[in-house]
Parts: sequence; C-alpha cells; structure tokens
Amino acid sequence: MTDPIDPIDRLAILAAALPGAAVAQRRIAAPFDAVWRVIADMENATPRYEPGVAEVRVIEQSGEFLRLLVRDTAGREDAMDARLRPGWCLMQSATIVIAFAARGMGDETLLAHLEHRRARPPVPGRSGSDENRAAVAKIDQELRTIERLATHDSH
Amino acid sequence: MDPAIVAAAQQGDALALDRLLDELAPYVRRLCARIAPAAADDAAQEALLAIFRGLPSLRAAEAIMTWARSVTIRTAIRLAREHDLEAPADETLTYGYADSPEGLVDIDDALARLPVAQRVVLVLRTREGLSEQEIATALGIPAGTVKSRLHRARAAFREVWES
Repeated sequence: MTDPIDPIDRLAILAAALPGAAVAQRRIAAPFDAVWRVIADMENATPRYEPGVAEVRVIEQSGEFLRLLVRDTAGREDAMDARLRPGWCLMQSATIVIAFAARGMGDETLLAHLEHRRARPPVPGRSGSDENRAAVAKIDQELRTIERLATHDSH
Repeated sequence: MDPAIVAAAQQGDALALDRLLDELAPYVRRLCARIAPAAADDAAQEALLAIFRGLPSLRAAEAIMTWARSVTIRTAIRLAREHDLEAPADETLTYGYADSPEGLVDIDDALARLPVAQRVVLVLRTREGLSEQEIATALGIPAGTVKSRLHRARAAFREVWES
C-alpha cells in the first residue's frame, strides 16, 4: 500500500491521540537505508539501543504485521503486536506503545521516536512533566545509539 | 468503517489508531485538496491532528465519518482563508491556470477561483455529493443559508467557467 501520509507526519498524528506520549526526533548522519536497516532488524538491534530489553523474537509475521515476544532485563516476557514497513514501525503491548518514523533527507535521515505508557498509573510525588522530560531524554539517548549503529557499528 | 476499530482507537489502541489513519487519510486529503487547493497538505495534516486529538470526545463510533468530515471541512476553510489573505490578489486569480492547455479551465481550477465560502458549498454538493442538510450540519449553518449560498456559488461558477 502506498502510504498517503509521510511517516514523520503520521507519528505526529499518532502522538496527538496518545496524551502523555514522549516524542523526540533527530537528524541522523546516515542515509535512510542504513538507518532503517537498524530499526527493521528488531531481533538484533532492539536490545542494543533499548536499555530495558534483553531479547526480541519475531514469532509470527504476515506482511507488515508481526507478533513479537520481548524479554526485559528483569526476565519478564511480554507479547507485542507490531506493524513494520520502510519508514514506519509501530509496536504495542498491553502496557506500552513504541513507534519509529523515518524520512530520508539526501545523505541524512530524520528519525522520530515515540514512547507511550498505556493506562499509566500516576507516580506519587512526580509530576507528568518530570516524567515526560525523563522519557524524552531516554528517547534522545536511544536515537544517538541508533545513529551510532547506523553509521559505524551495524554488524 | 468498522466501529470496533474506532472504539479501540478511542481507548488508545495504537494499532487501531494506525488503521483508522489509513482509512481516514485519503478522504481528508481529497476534501482538503478541493476546499483549500493552495494549502492542501497543511490543511490535511492539521485536520488529521485535530481529528485524532479529539477522538475521545466522539460519543458514537458510528458517527466517525460525519464528525471527521466536519472537522476537516472547518480546518480546510480556515487554512484556505488564511492563504487567501496571505496570497497577493493576482496569485489568487491566476491559481491553477498555468498548466491549462489552450486556455481551457477544468472544473477544479474554476472552483479554486471562487471565494472560499462559495467554493465549499459547491464542492460538497457537486463533487462530494452531500445533501444540503449534510452540508448545513458540517458547516454549522442553517439549511436555508446553504441553499442561498449554493445559488450564488453556481452563478459565480458559471461566470468563471464562461469567462
């Protein structure tokens, strides 16, 4: 299917529907194909840029739609449904939503990343803006790691 | 449109939101291209943002298309007006003429030359096939106003078409 919407715009629209979602984007000094190779390689790359994830396994795939089994660093396993195509990756479990969107810009790539806790209970003593700042900082760190994977360390 | 997908999207199911976007985006883009041809991309993105931000306020999932249409039309009208204010008069008058072979003007070009208020009712009636009542609901104006505006819009369209 030809996507009628640019992936970066699509991510902004998704964020509008998910109050409290943390979003950050970064111009990555690598072409689109190199960046997307990292994002699409869920099993190998995700544990390298996402600090809480120990292992990702694709257990089902039908076209753009995938089912993943994700084990966190504490040993808990969680199933995720995902949609993956060039420029757009959306993953969701019962507790979290993760999305990546990429737009090629010549030798560079604009990569946007969203994380959203579903039905998040309020954390006592911590304001929503503090949490959002911390989440954006984490996303920013992940984008830097993805840049490193896409530019120097993709194998 | 599957109401179950709409309901799931309203609950924050991201994959349902993604599918809803697939369903709505082509329609939103087409409406914006017709109502705000000079600002179609911006209008479509703003309309989709407004629709998805406002999803929780939609009471009946079955009403999604009517509601999304109304949000899109109002957003497109606002951007079309903003563009008309910003654009120099000669740009507005010549918009869409550049590529017309032998000076022929197609219907969309002629529609684009009408004032926004007239263009909207004519586009919705003739290009989108909405009834006068549906147009009145979408614009939040009385059906009688739609009727008189349509009358003026048809006259203005004929003038542009025959000029």
